[in-house]
Amino acid sequence: MDRAGGNIALKEFLYKIADDLLILGHRNSEWTGIGPLLEEDIAFSSMAQDKIGQSLALYQLLHELGEEDPDKVAFMRKAGEFRNCQLVELPIAEYEFSLVRHFLFDHSIFLRFQELSNSSYHPLAMVAKKLVGELRYHVLHANTFTKKLGTATEESIRRMQAALDEAIPYSLGIFEPSPYEQELIDMGIFSGERLLCQTWEQEVMNIIRQTSLKMPDIDRDQAKTGGRSGIHTEYLQLLLDEMSEVFKLDPGAEW
Amino acid sequence: MIVMAFESLDPRIKRWNLSLQRNEEYQSADLDQLPTYEVFLQMRDGKAYEHAGIVHAATADMAFVFAKEQFSRRYTCTGMWVVLSERVWVTDCMELEENVYDHIVDTSINADGPQEEYEIFHLMKRGKQHKHAGTVGTTGHQQAILQAKTQFDDGTPVLNIWTAKKADISATDAEDQVIWSTLKDKTHREVISYRAGDRLKAFKERQNG
Amino acid sequence: MYGGGNIFEATKFDNLTQEDPVKLDEFEARIARGEKIEPSDWMPALYRKQLIRMIEQHANSEIIGALPEGTWITRAPGFKRKMALMAKVQDEVGHAQLLYSAAETLGKSREQMMQDLINGRSKYSNIFNYPAFTWADSTIISWLVDAGAIVNQLANSKGSYGPYCRALERICAEESFHLKYGHHAVIHLATGSKIQREMVQDALNRWWPPMMHFFGPPDRISVHTEVLTKWKVKMATNDECRQQFLDMYVPKIWELELTVPDPNLKKNEQTRQWEYTEPDWEEFIRVINGDGPCNKERLAVRRNAEERGRWVRQALLTPEAKYVTPLA
Repeated sequence: MDRAGGNIALKEFLYKIADDLLILGHRNSEWTGIGPLLEEDIAFSSMAQDKIGQSLALYQLLHELGEEDPDKVAFMRKAGEFRNCQLVELPIAEYEFSLVRHFLFDHSIFLRFQELSNSSYHPLAMVAKKLVGELRYHVLHANTFTKKLGTATEESIRRMQAALDEAIPYSLGIFEPSPYEQELIDMGIFSGERLLCQTWEQEVMNIIRQTSLKMPDIDRDQAKTGGRSGIHTEYLQLLLDEMSEVFKLDPGAEW
Repeated sequence: MIVMAFESLDPRIKRWNLSLQRNEEYQSADLDQLPTYEVFLQMRDGKAYEHAGIVHAATADMAFVFAKEQFSRRYTCTGMWVVLSERVWVTDCMELEENVYDHIVDTSINADGPQEEYEIFHLMKRGKQHKHAGTVGTTGHQQAILQAKTQFDDGTPVLNIWTAKKADISATDAEDQVIWSTLKDKTHREVISYRAGDRLKAFKERQNG
Repeated sequence: MYGGGNIFEATKFDNLTQEDPVKLDEFEARIARGEKIEPSDWMPALYRKQLIRMIEQHANSEIIGALPEGTWITRAPGFKRKMALMAKVQDEVGHAQLLYSAAETLGKSREQMMQDLINGRSKYSNIFNYPAFTWADSTIISWLVDAGAIVNQLANSKGSYGPYCRALERICAEESFHLKYGHHAVIHLATGSKIQREMVQDALNRWWPPMMHFFGPPDRISVHTEVLTKWKVKMATNDECRQQFLDMYVPKIWELELTVPDPNLKKNEQTRQWEYTEPDWEEFIRVINGDGPCNKERLAVRRNAEERGRWVRQALLTPEAKYVTPLA
């Protein structure tokens, strides 16, 4: 399927994934040069660049569907227009939070892109197929670190557990269903947030089980949702102000 | 003396609320030093693995994760090996056109024992990197070098040999190659993305016109 | 990125008479032939010491150098600049890793080097003690400071120590993108809107004096380093590097119709040498000894990064694993 019927549903779908990737890539880039270990600093930065690159690929798909060019879309929208989940806009905090967020989110995006490789919307399937390989590395990195830090010392376990407790309610917000959910499923774009969430939980538990960490007992209704409809924490507008500070000095200019 | 409040120009650093005034010296607790792994890369299928450098890491898995980004950020590879520096045996380093194989003393040291595979790496010129020469099956690292002499010494001077047990080397496999699949698209790290010749030319024409 | 500067301590107090004369001769003959020294070779204590110091300072410059440009990572305008700057600063961290690794082959651990840096016992390129006030500052750094570093690195890549040469080979390959990116970004500002032009001219005005300090004091007042030159540790003089830089880059600055804040800057067509207002070497000494605008911040940030990361490194330590000096 090349011509997108249900354009609004598809665009909203693309926006939320692109926004997730842009905001998280931006957050993770904050560690460049100030990470806990040189080798890890380098690896984390590569993954942040990958995510920004992935968001760009999706904004380009949106541009082909009639949206503005990627720079405008990324640098000029206000917080209320962004469709990312709240998890990705939270500050980087200490390294355990950033790692746990990377672990939880990257599993979801890896699964999502694997599925999207077979999407009925052909341009999206092409992009997903291409990017799935690099996400395999991101998940490998996340698993390696979660397993190590989730078992190593009393301090590392304590920090990782606290981060997990804080991040889980927000990570459920990744799977907040869209009002166009059924339409997307019917069109064959993808198989829906609910199924994705279930698979994600299994993958995440597989790794957690190999550590001394415990998944917090979270009810579905404790999930921090709202991001998908433009309801964000105060952190997002601050992030966007910072991100667009130079761009807005002269939005028409070529930088 | 007025102490100025410290405000960084970097918004990330501003959020840290750093203090500039620290009275105690910084001490690395026990100089916590991670072990190092030697990293070897295969640039194309069929080519010999070549030494690239080291990473500090806790385990072989982590060494691989780190080495992938530190040593193959730009150029596509088909394979990567990592081995603890501690598990690599090295010979003396020769100079000029001397061949280290001419100086190997035949010995029966560790001639008994179970057979294992050892990888042999040659340094052909000082300043270059070690390259994989091949594999020998034998009972110990001394024997490995003796065996390498019979198999790989063709008279061309080899300046230095490294050897390590194959079992100590962690290697990627064919299905891992997918992690390098998007490397060629990372044009933002390539010189080719930063051509401004036309822009400069147009500017000069405007200034002169 | 690394320039010259006040790195070599007086070598006249270091005693070579304690070294085995036969071994010393062989060592020097090897170097004179153009052969590299590898980690397992015999080397005089002075060679080892000066090399550690030089490579360490270079590594320090990379990790500290990541900070002024890092200031603008979160605010880079547009996708292209955002990803480019992230990649560039990442490379600098990568170069620090390569260089610390090279120094480790000489017997000093990375943690010890980090400790010495944070406690002010070892130095880094002075230019990073200055503030990056605007986006244009980051582009000037990416262009001109990298250009200076490349002049220095190309010279050093012909030096005698194998591991350092191998690291520099990798570094030089990656730096080519840095230079192109920096130039590309400056060209866009200089040929862009009024706001952009003013920003970049302003940044150039502020960074020119530190750039003239970058290669270190003039040869006539520098510390004598004959033995280091003989041993191919120091490969080019400060003045030689500075002249090369001016020759390559002043014309490129002028073709953008930017002005260099030195009315005396010109190339003498007879001597083929660039003439310029003598930089303030007193300021250079003051800043390199701790009294610059950003010295305290740079080290405080490095220290903070290490302290915040300690729990991670400690969690990665495994009791059975033993650290040994890396091989090459």
